[in-house]
Amino acid sequence: MRLRIVHATTYEYADPVTTSHHDVHLTPRTVVGQACLAHEVQVTPTPRNIYERTDYFGNRARSFSLHEPHRSLRIVATSEVRRDDRRQLSLSPRSPPWEDVRDRLARDRRPDAIAAYGFTFRSRYIRPDAEVQDYALPSFPPGRPLLEATRDLTKRIHAEFKYDPGATDISTPLAEVLRQRRGVCQDFAHLEIACLRSLGLPGRYVSGYLMTTPPPGKARVFGADASHAWASTFSPDVGWVDFDPANDVVPSDRHVTVAYGCDFGDVSPVRGVILGGARHSLRVEVDVAEVADG
Amino acid sequence: MTSRPPEEHLDSRESGELPRDPADMWRYAPPLDGYDELFDPSGAPRPAWEKPAEMLARLGHVELRRRWEQARQLLHEHGVSYDAYGDPNGVSRPWNLSPIPVILGSAEWASVSKGLAQRARLLAAILADLYGPQRLLSDGDLPPEIVFAHSAFLRPCVGVRPPGDNYLPLYAADLGRQPDGSMVVLADRTRAPSGAGYALENRIVLSRSLPDVFRESGVERLALYFRAMRDALRDLAPHNRDNPRIALLTPGPYNATYFEQAFLAQYLGISLVQGADLTVRDRSVYLKTLGGLQVVDVILRRVRDDFCDPLELGPESTLGVPGLVDAVRAGNVALANPLGSGLLQTPAVMPYLPALCRKLLGEDLRLPSVPTFWCGDRASLAYVEDHLAELVVRSAFPVGSGERIVAGKLPARALEELRDRIHADPRMFVAQRPFALSTAPTLGGGGADLAPAPLWMRAYLVTRGDSYEVMPGALSRVGAADERLALSLRMGGESKDTWVLAGGPVSTFSLLKPATAPVALSRGGADIPSRVADNLFWLGRYAERAEGTGRLARAIGTRLSEQRLSSETDGGLDALFRAVRAETGVPTIPPGNGAKAADRNRTSLVGAGERALASIIFDVEPPDTLRGVVASAYRVARTLRDRISGDMWRALVQLNQDVHERPAAPGPRALGEILSLVNQILLALAAFSGLGIDSMSRGLGWRFLDAGRRLERAMHIVTLLRLTLASAGASEAPILEAILEVADSSMTYRRRYLASLQAAPVVDLLLADETNPRSVLYQIRALGEHLDALPREAGSPRSPQHLLLFEATASIQLADVNTICTADDNGERPRLQALLARLSVLFPEISNSLSGAYLNHASNLPLREEDV
Repeated sequence: MRLRIVHATTYEYADPVTTSHHDVHLTPRTVVGQACLAHEVQVTPTPRNIYERTDYFGNRARSFSLHEPHRSLRIVATSEVRRDDRRQLSLSPRSPPWEDVRDRLARDRRPDAIAAYGFTFRSRYIRPDAEVQDYALPSFPPGRPLLEATRDLTKRIHAEFKYDPGATDISTPLAEVLRQRRGVCQDFAHLEIACLRSLGLPGRYVSGYLMTTPPPGKARVFGADASHAWASTFSPDVGWVDFDPANDVVPSDRHVTVAYGCDFGDVSPVRGVILGGARHSLRVEVDVAEVADG
Repeated sequence: MTSRPPEEHLDSRESGELPRDPADMWRYAPPLDGYDELFDPSGAPRPAWEKPAEMLARLGHVELRRRWEQARQLLHEHGVSYDAYGDPNGVSRPWNLSPIPVILGSAEWASVSKGLAQRARLLAAILADLYGPQRLLSDGDLPPEIVFAHSAFLRPCVGVRPPGDNYLPLYAADLGRQPDGSMVVLADRTRAPSGAGYALENRIVLSRSLPDVFRESGVERLALYFRAMRDALRDLAPHNRDNPRIALLTPGPYNATYFEQAFLAQYLGISLVQGADLTVRDRSVYLKTLGGLQVVDVILRRVRDDFCDPLELGPESTLGVPGLVDAVRAGNVALANPLGSGLLQTPAVMPYLPALCRKLLGEDLRLPSVPTFWCGDRASLAYVEDHLAELVVRSAFPVGSGERIVAGKLPARALEELRDRIHADPRMFVAQRPFALSTAPTLGGGGADLAPAPLWMRAYLVTRGDSYEVMPGALSRVGAADERLALSLRMGGESKDTWVLAGGPVSTFSLLKPATAPVALSRGGADIPSRVADNLFWLGRYAERAEGTGRLARAIGTRLSEQRLSSETDGGLDALFRAVRAETGVPTIPPGNGAKAADRNRTSLVGAGERALASIIFDVEPPDTLRGVVASAYRVARTLRDRISGDMWRALVQLNQDVHERPAAPGPRALGEILSLVNQILLALAAFSGLGIDSMSRGLGWRFLDAGRRLERAMHIVTLLRLTLASAGASEAPILEAILEVADSSMTYRRRYLASLQAAPVVDLLLADETNPRSVLYQIRALGEHLDALPREAGSPRSPQHLLLFEATASIQLADVNTICTADDNGERPRLQALLARLSVLFPEISNSLSGAYLNHASNLPLREEDV
């Protein structure tokens, strides 16, 4: 399947912004089952330069700055990806018991294992505590295969938490999400990762997109999609496996992976530091549409 | 040296009956269970101490104490402080220096130095690996937890190679001496080592208070180390290697060691900057200056790693520079130390250093760490659990200095809780085995006794070639006896100068300017940072505002204290109260309603006046009381410690003390006290102004200081005239007299007009007389000169500030003073009112316009081609 993604971010400022610096993670990765065919980022007003780099996690990142006063900033990323991964992983038989994974990672010195081990620790937005562990444990009885247990955890988060965009923002701590059982995809991904890490297991944050299906009989509305986030864990010999607690699925060809990191802080699609501006409003429009194979 | 006559005070004591044996003279009893720096176990001074100890003993404790007091005074005057809590009100802890140094022999120090340099090379090599290929992890030499579990491991900095691959240009180690006399490292400082400046200040002060002992002992100088540091910073520059711009990035004046940072910047001759002074454009770092943007090549960093770039390293901090990581990544700026170097401050790495040293350097580790156990290692955890009560427990990954728990001092239940905490997540803890630190003599409470106190030393290193230059000396601190086992070096206690005796002749090189050189603004050109100019501008305004308020207060106080009060003097008093109420906003000032004295209760009026006067001077609220304004000036001046002279600073320190000295009870005596205090304050302010005129070079910094003062003075005169002469009273003489007094123009007036006091000549003198340095027009002329000197885009027309000044000049010069001072039938002077009202709008506009163009919005400055 070939998908075209338009991701537009618009800031409007009450006062002119004199200087702004932005760092964006908007380029879809090329991963197993996904190839990024085309990608461009347009910024208005136009910066003198846009610098591209590969970050610690292998994501493509861009940065730019503006030094003329501006009252708005618009960043439009347009990407085309091919997704050809329609398989549903057969989960349980191939993954070892979760305790084995935990203990093996602590000793394994192969590069992918060391890298995965790096995702078992606390990070800026994910600080597992005893309550998180208490929430995780019912899915992780002794000896249960890692991927099966994680699948169960995904299902439970989906069932027990209500999707509520008004309940949280990026500063809402996990403990609060856990207490009120509400949040958005980002919170659920953080929670699932926190659960994994509370048991010494690797948890990775994935940012990306999800193509939505319009209600029957309705046409697709441009911009109605959103950027999305889910979680991933690592099983030796299998590799990283994604889980989407917001939708209770193992991500399929409707999910487009953009970037991964320890948590949202590493891969937020657009982050910036501005001087001036006073109040600002933010509008994000995302559209994911299938296009004819070219 | 031999021909030099002995010091007089030594002479006088030669004949006295004071004991000659140092051990006898200093009743000093170090504990028997450890190593004492001064005495060996037999009670004889150690070789390095022999000569200095004898000389100190000959001085005697009385003389030593006297010199100690001198030293404290000197430190106070230098404004040396360590702000443990970063109190924004400027209440900082004075630096406490012991009069007795720590003395180390040259052979011992040479050996310690080798160990320190090796350790620095080792840590640099480890950093290079962990921020590069991470072979130490894949080879199993270091547990990955020590890297990944530590928030000081900055993932964005992996793969970012610092210029010259120098991962650790600066290093400091906290040292302690074990009972067997060997030194061990208690803590490694790799992030942004602090304190070298304090060591230097200690040296400057102690060598002045003990000049003879210092000279005769043959002490290694510290200056060569700081020259090496300056050279090393220069060598780091990726570009402009001939003349790189180096800046010290400070967290700002509320940081605990801000004094030291300012001192160091001044001593090294580099710019002291805050994050907001810098901007990143096209992957290069620039300093925002009045003259435009100037590229910065090297940053001596005193800001925490993760606070340095809010864009890539963490959004919490406002201290950093957005885009800094990317500028480093592009190789356009060098940081000392590079971002991420704080990683190796973790004590968890200490157990692995001996093996890493053999692997990476092919050498045995010369300088061991205090015995350290990382609980993430199974065997170490078992040991720690078995011996917990003997150990000191720390966070493996401390943020800041981190807590240290002396397990043996915990009650049983707390010990079990600690055990549980460690058991729950052992990776997060290290334990260290404490030992009795060596002791050094300090002046105890009183009398002739010296007290032994546990000693810590922080040693400093800077990169040089393939190895490191070690400062021949250290920042030593002594603690309380019960801290002997605590293994930490707490700031804020008593500090000691540390003397390393020279093996050969001593170099007398110094970076300090000779004491006779005029103290001046360090850089007069357009390269002055905009923030500094802004602060100088406000310092000028606050100092002038304090003077205006002080003059009003004095005039009021003088009138209140006059014996015979009459309705005539009342008129003047009322006018003064009106003016001071408008300027300070103090609400309790009696209304100047012009009522006749007979209608009022005399005593209560004076009482109310006195209370109001005290409020004007001493109240904390509103912010424009004299105390408030002086506090503002002091606060701003703190950020300018590297820009204003020591004398100017001392004048401000004195002022800030004066405005806190509120008399206990009101009454005639209190009034007298207040008056003499106000006089003292005005003198200090005059001294401050005079020093500004005499000791600052006429660069842009001085222009902003003076522009602030001129603007404030013009506004003050305009306000004074508006509130006193808007309408004409029956008898204006006392009012006019008061105005002239406050405006410091009485003498000029009398010389010019003899005794006749009339409104028109007074207004002329204060408004339009260009020869009177207190007149509004005089201030406008001075402002105009400053504006002319400010950098402007070539070919640009007159600035908006110029246009505003023209209007002010014209409105004054076009006014006929006699006409505008004539009262109408209602006793009003509408034309004078209109003129003054217009001026009272124009001056704040000029101030805003100046700020807008040069100061606040410095980021709007055009990027000129020649700057890039």
